Amino acid sequence: MRRALFALGAAVITTAVLLPGAFGRSQATPGVTAKTVTLGGTFPLSGPASSYAPIPAGMAAYFSYTNATAGPDGKRGAGGRQIIWKYYDDGYNPAKTVERTHQLVEQDHVFALVGGLGTEPQLAVRDYLNQQKVPQVYVSTGATQFGAKVATFPWTIGWQPDYQAEGAIYGKYIAANEPGAKIGVLYQNDDYGKDYIAGLEAGLGAKKSQIVDTAGYEVTNPSLLSQILELRKAGTDTLMIFATPSPTITAYATMAKIGWKPANIYVNSVSATQTFMGIAVKSAGAAEVNGSISTYYLKDPANPSWANTPGMKLYMQIMAKYAPSADPKNGLYFYGMAKAYDVVQQLRRAGGNLTRDSFMRSVRNSTLVGSPFTLPTVKTTTGPKDNFPISQQRLIRFADGAWTPFGPLLDPRK
Amino acid sequence: MNVSVGLVGRLGALAALAAVVVLLPAALSNFHTYQFAFVGIYFIAIVGLNVLTGYSGQISLGQGAFMAIGAYTTTILSVDHGVGVYWTIPVAGILTGLIGFAFGFPALRLTGVYLALATFALAIAVGLMAKSFDGLTGGGGGKSLHLPSSPIGGVAWQVWLYYLTWAIAAALLAAAWLILRGEFGRSLRALRDAPIAATSFGISLARFKTLAFAIAAFYAGIAGSLFAITVAYVNPDTFPVALSILLLTGAVLGGLGSLLGMVFGALFIEFAPLYAEKLNNSAPTVIYGLILLAVLFLMPEGAAGLIKKANRALKRASRRE
Repeated sequence: MRRALFALGAAVITTAVLLPGAFGRSQATPGVTAKTVTLGGTFPLSGPASSYAPIPAGMAAYFSYTNATAGPDGKRGAGGRQIIWKYYDDGYNPAKTVERTHQLVEQDHVFALVGGLGTEPQLAVRDYLNQQKVPQVYVSTGATQFGAKVATFPWTIGWQPDYQAEGAIYGKYIAANEPGAKIGVLYQNDDYGKDYIAGLEAGLGAKKSQIVDTAGYEVTNPSLLSQILELRKAGTDTLMIFATPSPTITAYATMAKIGWKPANIYVNSVSATQTFMGIAVKSAGAAEVNGSISTYYLKDPANPSWANTPGMKLYMQIMAKYAPSADPKNGLYFYGMAKAYDVVQQLRRAGGNLTRDSFMRSVRNSTLVGSPFTLPTVKTTTGPKDNFPISQQRLIRFADGAWTPFGPLLDPRK
Repeated sequence: MNVSVGLVGRLGALAALAAVVVLLPAALSNFHTYQFAFVGIYFIAIVGLNVLTGYSGQISLGQGAFMAIGAYTTTILSVDHGVGVYWTIPVAGILTGLIGFAFGFPALRLTGVYLALATFALAIAVGLMAKSFDGLTGGGGGKSLHLPSSPIGGVAWQVWLYYLTWAIAAALLAAAWLILRGEFGRSLRALRDAPIAATSFGISLARFKTLAFAIAAFYAGIAGSLFAITVAYVNPDTFPVALSILLLTGAVLGGLGSLLGMVFGALFIEFAPLYAEKLNNSAPTVIYGLILLAVLFLMPEGAAGLIKKANRALKRASRRE
């Protein structure tokens, strides 16, 4: 009898100790009070994609700055509300994303999910969030479907220029400026790489036939030697690298090792931050990397030519005060801050009577100008026919350790 | 006298546990009930793993891969072929069990570290195959299932899934106990502890070892099927190699060779990573590793070992009175 009681006690105590929190409370609009608004997000803080962990930290720094600084309405915070930012680790595992998202919605009662990272992790929670009518806003992925499927999933929208649009920019530029180009494509064998290829083909139009070879690789492949050799053998003189940062660096290193430098190299913008290019230069040598072309839409904190602009100075001040132990040259903190800036603008635009409806209406139909963090004159625009908030970008060319923009501001979605 | 007291004590503990399981949703929010549904799923998976690793002594780092097979079976049947999602649960179990049985044959040649490596290779291979056969599995992009819903009006879907999972877990626990208490269990333990002596007694190494793989895979298939229904999304990243390692860790922490200890193992698998993250947001994996080391140091025979020690201490205390 005593042992049975002991067992029952142990089970109850174990359960009570392991329960991580309080019960739910219902409110008029979840996550909104007169003084606060609670935002949530899931990010890979651990695991193979943890190099993206600076993004929510950059967002946190900007939200802290907003909470401490009087806005255009003279009040601190967004519309007088302090932003509470809760984000959890999902390790890029969609099953964890589902669980943590349920936690954010049902236990933490967040007002909206912002900036959630990863195509598959965000796909995994898209049905649930739309069913629950919770905003899934400015997801951190350029997968085209987050803008293309807004009619079906009206509570979900992306933010950055999408991959197909970027691929189309490369296609149009090559078709106009490199008539005889023999194009070879190294791509990640998933929706990410395939999105880019679809865009490239759309941009090339009739010149699609100039693609002489496409070589795919799996994310788990450490070596790209066979793909690079195949592309060289096919006669590629214009190489497209549609790969995430780590394989991109491997691609450059592999080409340097076999002594191959195609006349033109186009590298997708996700992998083209100054930090990643710096590592590529160290691994492959400057000669291999110089001349590479990409696109971008934000300023880059590792590029000294932006250092004296008000936007970069503001970024450095905010990082020094609110994230002093972080390396501000890492463009991912900057990306997070640029996104957080837009989030704050939308919260202010949505009005004093902040509801999920008013917020979503603002996000889906608005023009935000004057961001200190984007390239000059880049706007965040949405409307009934435009579900790609940022689509403007410029071509940039890499030389001697830095990217230099060239050509006009392009908008492939106009 | 002592034997019957022991039996009454064990039955009492079991009844207490059953009472907690039945009553828990009434005391918890829907979200916490949902988390305990995952505990049930992991419990099923590591009970199966316990049969393989604890009782037949075959180390497996592939239990997550078998879960993946069960999950994809349920997903493909229900999403692409319109099969009622609950009917797919036994199908997933049986199909995965057959695959586990088939895997048991080449595994006969391997022991110890080499077997662990082979099962580890299985864990990696299943993920890659899911990506390759993308026509069937949806590749890297995965497949979405219908969001879970309760067929009983007025009952939240989280509560429904909790009771479904734990009802199946109870049935499978009883089945495992029945299989293991008899000749099958004794033969498995004999093969684990003294294989040469056991085979000279006429116990077929091949038959029992492959059956142990089949049982572990069957349980993992059921767990994976329930996992797919609960998460409503599958892709290769949903069943990383880390899951297989986590399941084995949970089984060890629960106490290999103890079925009820698996409750603690399952609780650990579900909640320890969450606590690690709470303690330190920037290095959750390190904290999780430290928790793991602390638990292994303080409870080397797992939770089951700790309970046995507590039991003995109580016995001594009651004898002294």
